[in-house]
Amino acid sequence: MRVRRSASLYFALAMLFGVAVLVAVVPLLPVYDPYKQDLGASLTPPFEMIGDRLSLFGTDQLGRDILSRLALAGQVSLFIGLATVVLSLFIGVALGLIAGFFRGWPDTLIMGLADLQLSIPRVLILIAVAAIVGSTIPVLVLLLALTSWVAYGRVARAMAMSLREREFVLSAVTQGASATWNIRKHLLPNVMPQMLIVGSFELGQVIVLEASLSYLGLGIQPPLPSWGLMISEGQSYVEFDPWLSLLPGICIFMLVAGVQFLTQAFTSETDAEGEPAPRPTT
Amino acid sequence: MTAHAADPAPPLLEVRDLVVELATPRGPLRVVDGVSFTVARREVFGVVGESGSGKSITMLAVMGLLPPGMRIAAGTIRLDGQSLPDLDAERLRRLRGGRMAMIFQDPMTSLNPVLRIGTQIAEAVRLHHPDWPAARVHARVIEVLGLVGIPDPARRYRQYPNEFSGGMRQRAMIAMAIANEPDLLVADEPTTALDVTIQAQVMAVLAEARARTGAAMVLITHDLGLVAEVADRVAVMYGGRFMESAAVEDLFRVPSHPYSVGLMASLPRLDRQGEALYSIPGQPPGLADRPAGCAFHPRCGLSADRADCVARVPELRRLGAGAHAVACHFAAETPAWRDSPMVHPPAPPPAAAPAAAARGSGLAVRDLCKEFRVSRPRRWGSDRLHAVAGLSFTIARGETLGLVGESGCGKSTLGRVILGLHQATRGEITLDGEDISRRRARRHRRRMQVVFQDPYASLDPRMSVFEIIAEPLRINGVFRAERVAEMLAHVGLSPDMAERRPAEFSGGQRQRIAIARALALDPEILILDEAVSALDVSIQAQIINLLKGLQRRFGLTFLFIAHDLSVVRHISDRVAVMYLGRIVEMGSREQVFDRPAHPYTQSLLSAVPVADPAARRARIILEGDLPNPLHPPSGCAFRTRCFKARPLCAEAPPALEDRTGGGQLTACHFPEPGMPAVAAMAATRQG
Repeated sequence: MRVRRSASLYFALAMLFGVAVLVAVVPLLPVYDPYKQDLGASLTPPFEMIGDRLSLFGTDQLGRDILSRLALAGQVSLFIGLATVVLSLFIGVALGLIAGFFRGWPDTLIMGLADLQLSIPRVLILIAVAAIVGSTIPVLVLLLALTSWVAYGRVARAMAMSLREREFVLSAVTQGASATWNIRKHLLPNVMPQMLIVGSFELGQVIVLEASLSYLGLGIQPPLPSWGLMISEGQSYVEFDPWLSLLPGICIFMLVAGVQFLTQAFTSETDAEGEPAPRPTT
Repeated sequence: MTAHAADPAPPLLEVRDLVVELATPRGPLRVVDGVSFTVARREVFGVVGESGSGKSITMLAVMGLLPPGMRIAAGTIRLDGQSLPDLDAERLRRLRGGRMAMIFQDPMTSLNPVLRIGTQIAEAVRLHHPDWPAARVHARVIEVLGLVGIPDPARRYRQYPNEFSGGMRQRAMIAMAIANEPDLLVADEPTTALDVTIQAQVMAVLAEARARTGAAMVLITHDLGLVAEVADRVAVMYGGRFMESAAVEDLFRVPSHPYSVGLMASLPRLDRQGEALYSIPGQPPGLADRPAGCAFHPRCGLSADRADCVARVPELRRLGAGAHAVACHFAAETPAWRDSPMVHPPAPPPAAAPAAAARGSGLAVRDLCKEFRVSRPRRWGSDRLHAVAGLSFTIARGETLGLVGESGCGKSTLGRVILGLHQATRGEITLDGEDISRRRARRHRRRMQVVFQDPYASLDPRMSVFEIIAEPLRINGVFRAERVAEMLAHVGLSPDMAERRPAEFSGGQRQRIAIARALALDPEILILDEAVSALDVSIQAQIINLLKGLQRRFGLTFLFIAHDLSVVRHISDRVAVMYLGRIVEMGSREQVFDRPAHPYTQSLLSAVPVADPAARRARIILEGDLPNPLHPPSGCAFRTRCFKARPLCAEAPPALEDRTGGGQLTACHFPEPGMPAVAAMAATRQG
């Protein structure tokens, strides 16, 4: 796998580095408790002193330190994003490969389910279920994963359908290989690179989706912060204290855009076949 | 097709010392390395070479169509005295399609699928005649469509490319190329994607179109037979340079470069049989690792690494007074080497097939049918496609049955049904008397293995060579690392290649890996489904010799499925010819090739170009395309294209039986062994 070195690659790496510092390094520093309220210092703008200390990103309406809240919120958002991608990738690849390899009724069933899901707006399902079941982090992850496997499933199915006709699969069949063998040894390794690409696109989607749910009050529940929730909390102050919503918005942008650009730098050089770039023919 | 070397008139196309470079991060590579030639008016100039030789790039440079990254680094190209690389893009564009036109290999990708055929040709006409009124353009398009033998051109004008068969599409391409009466046609593998009877049609159309328009042609091909039949002069290209250039008769009579000699000796011939093929060792070099000195010296049978060959690039020098030129330091030694036993290896002792036959009855297929259900477009229901319609044959132990037919005749389906990849609709397949067509016969599967055509799709790109060959052993729980090394050695690959991935190997090497995998389980029967069709001539000879060696060594039984009649003749003991799901003729190799009795076999054989200009002959050109297999003709399926068809043929399907004596089976009401005289045959068609 070769990476195309370009400006967008370094831009992406810089943004992801920023997010990583925020999420992994900031909590290690002697910063303030993300939950500690100080109503006397509420809505301090960034780069101002509170007493004898510098408030780097300012405070929110309850006087909580925004930098440490952003860091905690980042951990929450990233965990939800990554856990959802892993879980939905697993579900999607499993169902997609079964549908594409066996065809027949499993295919009809699985793809029928996928079409059904696609025909109902994803946010509507999420809102409905979250409102009924409540929204703890495990529930959120499960819900998001169950509504986002279709992307993996469709790509995996399409690839499985073409791979099962490929000669290396046919020759394994003539050697007595079972369906399990072919799926495990030939299909899975050949679809995984594509699945990781789909996963990187989905990661951004899921984080934005979690943000919108939290914004609606159906995602992460206060006082635990997530980036989306922080945007929503800052909404009432957006006119005079825009940083409350702006800073978590920038964090989401950096993560999502960073992952997208990074994926693009990889995808330009890889494909599912693992073939080298085409050579000029005679 | 007249003489031209002594022609005092200036040549139509003159290329001098052409160098084409490909820019790479590690500096420019020479794709074409100093090529000079001329093409006279009305002449056919053939450029022969294997993949990677630079033959297509040379002509793309002439057309001004080099792919991105490539540029003309040196040399001159003149069309009628006018220097082409000096022209600006606009004037070059007007020359292309006007005075020179190109026909590409793949008519599927060369036509725009969303535009009507007529519209696309009209576009070409209008580009060069912007002042013509629409009616005149339309009339011209209809005229050229008729000229290339497209029936009912007014109706065909309005059809889309997907409504055309492969041969018809290539005719449309030719129509587009000749629409503006170019002086120079460049045909790049124009018939490689077509079946042999269609190839014969298209070449005839091309010849007639050239005769009408007086165009000269550069024919780029890997097919020595095609060049021998069509070209006036030929250049043999290797490693970006011309190795030899001569009048076609001279090249084939006295090839004087060791590479040309090797190519011809490694080509299975329809008009000969028996001897083992010479195989040029090694493989064509990649662009980045072309050897110093003579590009061919590492593979040369004559060079023996002499200092001159390694150090100095040989110039293309004239032999004697004629136009025959050779780029070899030791061209004087070629004639002696050419006739030595090194180039004509003695035939190996015949395989002990009769003795082996005693051990078991081999593979027997009885009344085998395979139907597919094909849903109807725009209507309810489905039709039955009889891909294999009642076949019976046997292959004795250690024997090779060659199965020939054009694309769509069901030969690959038959192979897959025998392998158990498709379930037979009806019929019986037995191996040594045991029925293996049932599903529960999975344990018999390892007794039959397969090698497919496409060496790129045959190997899982994510596995190492070791894992690929180990896979069948692991599936069956008999994995031993030594066995993998043993298999690599059997197919002539070194053990240190085991850790590499398929992408690092060339087509021929990949095919060796696929053969090693197929043999790992020690099968009795090997089904070779076009196993050598995708390979270059020199590599093809290597693989054929390898297969024959393995067959002798392990007593293998081969079902050799192929469309290439010359290869089938070379490798088979017995031959079956298929047409639309049925065997129309079956017999020993000598019977089928020397005394064919079925008109389809006769036309197939006559359509194959033979690599011998002295043997140019009239041929039976079948009319029309393969009928739609969903609705095969009544009676004899071949009657719609047959030159002998009579009313009886439409009524009763002829059974495959011994009609001529000697055990040769023919499914024809009017079998006549031997090649018919073409004149007599034409008369039959009239009557």
